Order: sequence, then structure tokens, then C-alpha cells
Amino acid sequence: MNQFFNYFAVLTVAKLALLPLGAKTPLKDIEPFLEQHCFSCHDDDVRKGDLDLLNLTFQPDDPDNFKTWARIFDRVHDGEMPPKKKRPPSSAEKKTFIATLQPILYEADKKTADEKGRVHFRRLTRREYQYTMHDLLGVDLPLVDLLPEDPATHGFETVASGQQLSHHHLGRYLDAADVALNEAFRRAIKGDETYKKTYAVNELGAKEKGRGNYRGPQHRGELCIHWPMRPQFYGRMPITYVPKSGWYRITFKGMRAINPKNGVVWGTLESGVCFSDSPLTYAISTVEATAKPEDMVFEAWIQEGHGLRLIPNDATLKTASNGTTGGAVSYKGRDLEKEGYAALAHRGVTIERIYPNATREAVRKRLFGNINQVEHKNLRNKSTCRPIIRKLVNQFATRAFRRPVNTKEVEPYLKLAYDSLEEKNSTPFDALQVAYRAVLCSPRFLSLPEKAGALDNWAIASRLSYMLWNSMPDYVLRQAAQKGELKKPDVLKRHVDRMLADPKSERFIDSFTKQWLSLRDFDLTSPDLRMFRHWDSIVSVSMQEETRAFFRELIKHNLPVKHLIQSDFAMLNERLYRHYQLKDNVSLEPGKGMQKVDLKGAPRGGLITQGAILKVTANGTTTSPVIRGVWVNERILGTHIPPPPPGVPAIEPDIRGAVSIRDQLNKHRSSEACISCHLKIDPAGFALEHFDPVGKWRTKYGTSKKAVSVDASGTTPEGTDFKDIVQWKSIYVNRPDQLARGFAEQLTIYATGAPVRFSDRSPLNQIVKNAAKNKYGLRTLLKEVVTSDIFLHK
Amino acid sequence: MKNVHVNTRKHLSRRSMLKSGSIALGLPVLDAMTPAFSAAPKARARRFVGVSLYLGLHQPYWKPENDGPDYTPSPYLKPLQDIRNDFTVISGTSHPRVTGGHTAESSIWSACPNQRNGSSRNTISLDQLMAKHCGHETRFPSLVLNTGGESSPSYTENGAMIPAERNPVKVFTKLFVNDSAQEQQRQAELIRRGRSIMDVIGSEAKTLQRELGYGDREKLDNWFTSVRELERRLEANEDWIYRSKPTVKAKPPANIPRNNAVAVERAMLDVIFLALQTDSTRFITLHLTDNQVSGLEGVDESYHGLSHHGRDEDKLDQLAIVEQGVINAWADLIRQLKASEQGEHNLLDETMLMLTSNLGNASSHDNRNLPALFAGGGFKHGRHLAFDQKRNYPLPNLYLNALHQLGLQEESFATSTGTMNGLV
Repeated sequence: MNQFFNYFAVLTVAKLALLPLGAKTPLKDIEPFLEQHCFSCHDDDVRKGDLDLLNLTFQPDDPDNFKTWARIFDRVHDGEMPPKKKRPPSSAEKKTFIATLQPILYEADKKTADEKGRVHFRRLTRREYQYTMHDLLGVDLPLVDLLPEDPATHGFETVASGQQLSHHHLGRYLDAADVALNEAFRRAIKGDETYKKTYAVNELGAKEKGRGNYRGPQHRGELCIHWPMRPQFYGRMPITYVPKSGWYRITFKGMRAINPKNGVVWGTLESGVCFSDSPLTYAISTVEATAKPEDMVFEAWIQEGHGLRLIPNDATLKTASNGTTGGAVSYKGRDLEKEGYAALAHRGVTIERIYPNATREAVRKRLFGNINQVEHKNLRNKSTCRPIIRKLVNQFATRAFRRPVNTKEVEPYLKLAYDSLEEKNSTPFDALQVAYRAVLCSPRFLSLPEKAGALDNWAIASRLSYMLWNSMPDYVLRQAAQKGELKKPDVLKRHVDRMLADPKSERFIDSFTKQWLSLRDFDLTSPDLRMFRHWDSIVSVSMQEETRAFFRELIKHNLPVKHLIQSDFAMLNERLYRHYQLKDNVSLEPGKGMQKVDLKGAPRGGLITQGAILKVTANGTTTSPVIRGVWVNERILGTHIPPPPPGVPAIEPDIRGAVSIRDQLNKHRSSEACISCHLKIDPAGFALEHFDPVGKWRTKYGTSKKAVSVDASGTTPEGTDFKDIVQWKSIYVNRPDQLARGFAEQLTIYATGAPVRFSDRSPLNQIVKNAAKNKYGLRTLLKEVVTSDIFLHK
Repeated sequence: MKNVHVNTRKHLSRRSMLKSGSIALGLPVLDAMTPAFSAAPKARARRFVGVSLYLGLHQPYWKPENDGPDYTPSPYLKPLQDIRNDFTVISGTSHPRVTGGHTAESSIWSACPNQRNGSSRNTISLDQLMAKHCGHETRFPSLVLNTGGESSPSYTENGAMIPAERNPVKVFTKLFVNDSAQEQQRQAELIRRGRSIMDVIGSEAKTLQRELGYGDREKLDNWFTSVRELERRLEANEDWIYRSKPTVKAKPPANIPRNNAVAVERAMLDVIFLALQTDSTRFITLHLTDNQVSGLEGVDESYHGLSHHGRDEDKLDQLAIVEQGVINAWADLIRQLKASEQGEHNLLDETMLMLTSNLGNASSHDNRNLPALFAGGGFKHGRHLAFDQKRNYPLPNLYLNALHQLGLQEESFATSTGTMNGLV
């Protein structure tokens, strides 16, 4: 005992010296608590969990040290420490501990956050870069692939601390700016490309057999028919190859289904070369055709020399044989329709070059802005162009940097243009382009510079715009910033409504769900087709669309946060409806794409039981309650799970049959070091065990006779038993504040570009509290985040 | 020849390594390319090729059961017996404090201890550290390649991932196809413009640092270093634009099937061989992340799917076909290098090659007991160095050997505790 006090005396002195001036002796009041409840395991001798409280200093400036103290606080606060088998602290002891430590930690963290800001020079992600370039220049080129992939930190690509920068990035930015500006100037000066071709059915398909290794569709009467055939590249139409890379509008005349068993035939439209020396194809769209002929229009970026390929693509369809012994197909002497095969048929296709983003006039306006005719004339002349160039660079930089710029600030960019004018063969347009290129490589363009403290109107406009549009503010938002209106909560909320109503908000739906729900990793594994025979690309694409559509619906109608857990409706199309094997009382109209479906009590409702979530939390072959449990905790319940201690091996899955993952896990859980976290992790994972790696309901692991039955029962960390997912949901659906808190945290990380920290806790609580009156509607939560102190400060 | 006792319990201290004089450690910091400093009697390694698998290797198939020079080859190593004395098998090693399953990919060559959320900054990878010191003599300081995507385990000093080149044809073109005079001129123009733009960007970063205060200092420092580094690279490239590229007899890779990751690996390794032969670069990493393997005879699933074999025999058989293919292709590069005369030595003596992964067991995402095969570079090979499976030996120690062999006098690399026991 005395020894402890001696240690502690030394320790306290050391700590005092490190504390900010004027702070109250900070840890004195928790000494008795630490001594009675902590030291026996966490001293310099036992050091359980590698924590030695005797030698732990208090240095809130040091992020690692602060993290340790915050963790100590949380473990005690959440009742996880001291462990169950030890004598629990009295409620008074615990209260003192919390009341003492909380304000110290809060103040210390708040001070750091205020001085330095939470977010440090967040850069645009490559998706944000592309959209910004599109909005700024009017071009529509895909630019994402020109830049290095963005790593995700805390799940989000926007988190500044995880963003990397090297000369490789800068080199890519130079190139990408060059590519985009060349396109914009070419269109503005020389005009748009035009291209339009219509192909008749006899040009697209062969009646019996085509020449060589024929793998195209069948031409029969008025129709061009694509059958479910296996040869690689089947369904290709090389005649449709386009001469130049660009956006094209593809119109199929009278698309219809042949032998639609479920009211529709599903297919995929792809572009590619479709020959073995260049086998990669690019998905354009899924195709859902009914017996009724219908013109179908698609818009897609097609690379030079690529053409169209259309195939029925539903793994439940019966495959037709080639009709030849080689790799080619032959329709000679066959009536596949009579034989009952399903197919997609159409009456020809038209391919037309388009510019979906902006007209040539709009591009011109973005490059040469608000200048009058005289100025236009002067711009073309090397001796008179300088003042015009100055004006244009100024305008361009103002938009690109998303805030007003003064003359001095654009000087270096202008100098590049003027230097270029001195060169022999250069034109004023060249000079302008050089300056623009430099603007597009500037850290003021590529990052979101914010000053410490409360954000100014321009910074708020950018944050909001990148959150909801993944791009720069539009004219209306810039006007509001100019007038200084964006610090008013009601104005901000009105802008949120306006921006969510804009089609650009689809970028938010897509980016946010990709990151928040890990859907960016959706294709990391592919399901084992022998175990999951009916997995196909339609199911795969539809699942991801289902989750986006569902989230869109929640935001659109401000539906309560409990829908993340349980919902009476789902967004489904015909293929998913079949994949999920819903009962007959659930009705859906085939041929109408994604639609809102009343589930009539089926256990499918709610985000966490959607196929995309169940797929991305499995590995294609097996499911793990641990991986799913961690996912549900971190992404939905707002419970942070610390990483496993080093050296503890994960369970190696065994699919040979006799042993279930649960039995294996029980062995692992029996260890004392593991159980404290697994009590939190596993329950949600157990509850989801009735869903296989492709999101189908299952009662057994596998189909063999000795297959083990699924046991989805468990006990929540608070001690409530549940027997399956339905009961688990009924527990969590009644914790809207916890769900709202979890959602608000995720949204805050995404929107601000920094993880949630200790001093964010009370504003987050306030956000949740404010949203309570609207039943924790998702749009309300979003607005509360946007008007919170966290969002409005660096 | 010195007899080295493989000791798995304690390792030789650095001091004793110095005393033993097995490596030229006492030399002053030196220019790796100046022959006067070449103290080692044997050919000295000048090159490094790191090949990494993103899904590990099935341990029972690659790890020999017994250790030492007389180890019995494991199934995967049986076809490599003709070059048995040209490589070392190393088991029971891993990177200390590197966890996180797939996310540990970023530490394959950096050995940087990570945290699950990846917020900790990565450190420079082995190949880039080598290139930093010795990469300036060739047209390309380093090559960073990947068979399946843009990700790479090669990281800059800033801890930024270097995007990989994934198309073997493009790599071939970059290395061996001369640009037209017009293109050269365009390149020169772009470089010149790029340099003047970087000037502006550098001073913008400086201004911003003043405006924004100290919270953003580190990030803006990154901008400075990146700007400076790019200026340096552009300047170096300027010198190379008008110099003609080496001529090779080989044709550019063609008709590489996209559903056969091993064929893509082979195409890459062929280009790598040419790059080494023509001294176009000396430091190369190739990350194997291509998931398409159904083009291999007897395989009908995806690679990642097979790695989650769940001990199913059929899946393991298919996985073995893929993994054997990967190893065989790597072995063929060793054979090619061995057959290439380079003055008194062959290219293999001057080239260190390594095959490793971030996963020891992909099925359970375990980052311990990594597969490691190490070849060439003038080391004494032909043995199985078996370290403790339970208490792994630090693999970064091998990286320190590699740096020393290059003539770089680093005290340590990442979490290394010295050079690797038993490797001379």
C-alpha cells in the first residue's frame, strides 16, 4: 500500500508539471479509485493489456497518451473495467471518477481541437476531383482513373489524416489537368465531334452462322435475338465499334423478352473489344425486358475501338448449347424459342455521340467567362490580350479556389501566362491554358484550406457542397456565402433541402454509402459459384442499388433511424425478389426496376439484412459472426471495437461440414483475454448467421446430410437473450438514440474529414437530442450535423 | 566457407556481426557504384526485385519440414531443385506489430507497424530506400508493378503509396520503345512547363502555411517535399528524353490472357528480366493481386475465393495449381538471371530476389509465419532457415541484410533487431 502511494506521489508531481497552467490538480481525486480498482492488474509489474498506470503520465497534447486516458475513461464509464470477477466500484466511486476525469479530458481535447482544428488540410478525393473538374470546365471525361486510389481511414476516403501525397500524386495532377483542359479548349475552339450510326438487325446478327468464329446474336425476321449461351464474348456486335472514346447514347429499338418465365428476362449491356487479345469488358447497364417491346436508352462512356455486347444474364436461366462443336455459335436448323429458351430481342440499335455534362457554349462560357465581344476580339490578339487574360484568370481562380481572390494572389499564375506569351509559337489561348493548368494543380484547388476556429462562409459553402455534391459550390451557394448567410442554421438547412433535391445529390448517396457501409469493397471477393449457383452479375448490381435506393428513400422522406435495423418495406427489383425467396404475399411488378415493396413482416426489412451488407461482410465462401459483429457495432451501433491483441490468431474457417463457425468460436471465446470484447462483438454476428455469404436465408451450413444447423441465438452485451435476428432486431429497434448517435458520428467523419474525438462527444449528444423531436429522421440528423459546432469549425 | 549455426532462440548482436566481419560493415558511407569501395570479395548485389503475393502461400505446401542445408523440399519447392543452391527458404518470420490481415499489404516492404484504422503513417519501403540512395544512375530509379491493379506495397518517405503500373505492354513501351521526335519535344515541353508550375505551387504552399497556422504544418510540409521531389524528377527526366532507349531482341508482350494471373505474372517477370539486363532500373517491386485464375488448367474459381478454402480439399487442389504457378514463374526468372553473364558474374549474383507476402495464412487472415524465399545477391543459399513458429523472428532483419549487401550502412530498418541470423 505504502509503496503504491510513493509511486503515486512521484507520478502526480510529474503529471502536474505537464498540465496546462491554471488547471486544477487533475488526477488527485481519482487516485483512490485507481488504487483500489486498477493497480492490482495495471501496475509496472503485471502490466495487464500492456497498461502500466503507475508510470502513465498525463500529456493531453500527445495523441497517443490522450487516447490511452480516453480509453481508461471509457472502459470504466461503460462498466467494462474493473472486470466482472473483481469487486465492482460503488456507484459513488464511479460517479466521482467520471465527474473528475471527464471535464479534464474534455477541456484538454477541446483546447487542442480549438488551436489546431480537427481537420488538417483535407484534399479532394479523386471522385471529388473528377466532379469538380466536370462542374468547373464542363467536360465529361472520366478522370478518376488518372489519379491514384484513395485509401480509406476510419472507413472514409475523406479523412485528411489518412490522405497521402507524394510527387507521384503531383505528377498525376499535372497530367490530369492537361487532359481535361485540352478537351475543354478543343471543344470551345474547334467544336464538338458528331457521330451517329443506326444498325439494322441483319447487320447485327447472323441468320444461321456467321463468318469465322461467330459469337454474335441471331437475326430472325424483324428481330435480333441474344440467347443465353456460354461461349466467352457471346452476344458481341463488332460492327458497333466506335471510332473515338466518348459518351454515347445507345438506343435499342423494341427491346423485348422471349419466353419470360417470371415476367421478365434480365440481361447485361457491356462495351469492349470482346476478343481474346483484349478481353476486358465494361458494364454499361443491366437490362430488364418484358414481353412488351419497348425502346431502351442507355448512356455510357465507350472507349475507342470498343463495341456493344448484350447477353441474357440470369443464372437461373437454362443455357442453350452453341450448336457447333467449336467455340462459335450456330443457329442452323434450330428453333430456340420453341425449345423454350428465354432471350433478349430487339429491332436494331442507334449509337450517337453525346456530351451529357455541358454544351459547347457552356464550356466556352466556363473558359472565357463574362467577357464582351470587344474583349473576345482582343483576346485573340497577342498584343492586346493581356488585360483580358488577367480578367479571365482572376475569374477562373475565384471559382476554382471557391473563394474570392485578390490581384496579388493570382499574380504568380498570371506570370506563367505572360511568360508563355513571350514564346514564339504560342497563342493567347495557350497562355490562358498554362495559367489554368497551374490553378488546377494548386493546393488551394486540390485541398480545402480552412483556418483554425469558426469557419468563414466560403469554407462552410465548400464543406456543404463537397458533402452533398462531392463538388464545388454552385452559383446559389456562392451567392449565399458572398452575402454571409451561411452561419444561420435555418439558411443552412434550406440549402440542405435544395441541394438534396438536385440530381447531383446522387453523388452523396453513392459516396457516403460506399464508404460508410464498406460497399467500396463489394467486389473484393466473388462468391463460390458451386456453392451459390444462382449468383450472377444482375444480383450483384441489384444488391448495391437496393442499398442505395433504400438510403435514398430514408433521406428523401426523413424516415426514422430505426429503419437501419428494421423496416416494413424494401427497395427491390424482380431479380432480387427472387433471390431473397420472398413469400407470395409480398408483391412486386416485374419490369419496373427498383420499387418500394411492402414486406408484410418478412425478416428482410432494414439496412443490416440487405444483400449488399451481408455479402460485403462475408468472404464469398463463409460467414464470420466476428467480422459481421464488428461491422454492425462500428458502422450501425456506434460502438467502437478495439483491434485484437497482437498474436491472437483468428479462427481458420472449416467448410468441410461437421463443425460450425460457432463451435470454433466458442473455443476462442473461452479465453479470458478474448471474451470481454467478444461479448460485444459476437451477438450481432450470431443474429445474422441465418444469412449466407450471398445474403440468402439459410437454416443449415451447406446442403450435405451432415450439415450443421444454424444457431442464431445469443445474448446482448447488456444481458438480453434473443433467439434469432427477428428478436435481435426487436431489441435494437427500440434504441433510436444509440442508432442516431452512431449515424451522426459516421456522417460527421465523412462530412468533416476527421474522426470523431473526445470533445466531439457533447456536440454529438446535442445533435441526437435535437433530432429526437422528429423521431430521429435521417434528414433531420443530417441537418443537425450540418448546423453543429463540429461542422462549422475547422 | 564459414559454418553458420542457425539459432532460433537468441540472435547475434550487431556487435558480434561486426566482429565476425562477414559483412563489410565497417566501411564509411559510400557510393554504392564506386568499385574502389567494393570490399566484398564476391560479386556485390546492385539490384533488388521484390515479388509479393497478396494472399500468402498455403503453408503445408511451401514450408519444408526440416531445416538446415539438407532440408527435404516441400511440394512447392520440388520443381526448384535445380536451383536449390541459389535461394534460401525462410520460415517462422513476420513483421513485428504488423497486423490487420489484408491491410498489412502496406507493410510488406516497409515493415511499418500499423494500426487497424490505418491512421498511422507508413514509412519508406525497402525498394524505395534503395532507389533513393542508388537509383539515380539508371533511367528509372525504380519500377513499381502490379498484376491486378494500381495498389502497391512501395511507399515514399512521406508514407504515400506509389501507384503501380499494371500493364506489361505499357511497361515494355516505357522501357524500350523510343518516342517519336515529336513526342520527345512534347515531353520536353511538358517537363519545362511542369517545372515552372511546380515553382508556383511550392510558393503557394508556403503562403498557405502562413495563412493557416501550425495545425496544417505537417500536411503542407508534405506539399513542399512532394513539389521538390517532382522538380528533381522532372529535371532528371529532362536528361533522358533525347537519349535513346536500349534495344532488346524480345518482342513486346502480347495476347496475355486476362483470366490467368500466372500468365500476367510471367509477362511482367519477362519485362523485369529485360529491365535488369539492360540496366534500365535496379529496383523493382511486383505485387501480385490479379484475382483471375480460371484460365489455369484445373481451376474454375477466383484466386481470392480459393484462398478462403475452408480446408476443402478440392479448393486446396485448385489453390495449389495457382500457387505452384506463381512460384514456378518466379523460379524461371532466377534461372534466366543465372544464365546471363555480366562480366565475371552472372546477373543473379548481382540481384537480390525475394518472394513474400503479408499473409501467413490467408484463410484466417493471419499475418504471422509469412512465406519467404530469398535468392541471389551473392549470399550463400541452399538452406532452410527455420525460426520459431510461435514467437516469430523479425523479417525486417533480412531487409537490413539486403541494404548492407547493397553497400548501404543502415543501422536498422523499421523494427529490425539486427541482421538475420544464419544468413551470410
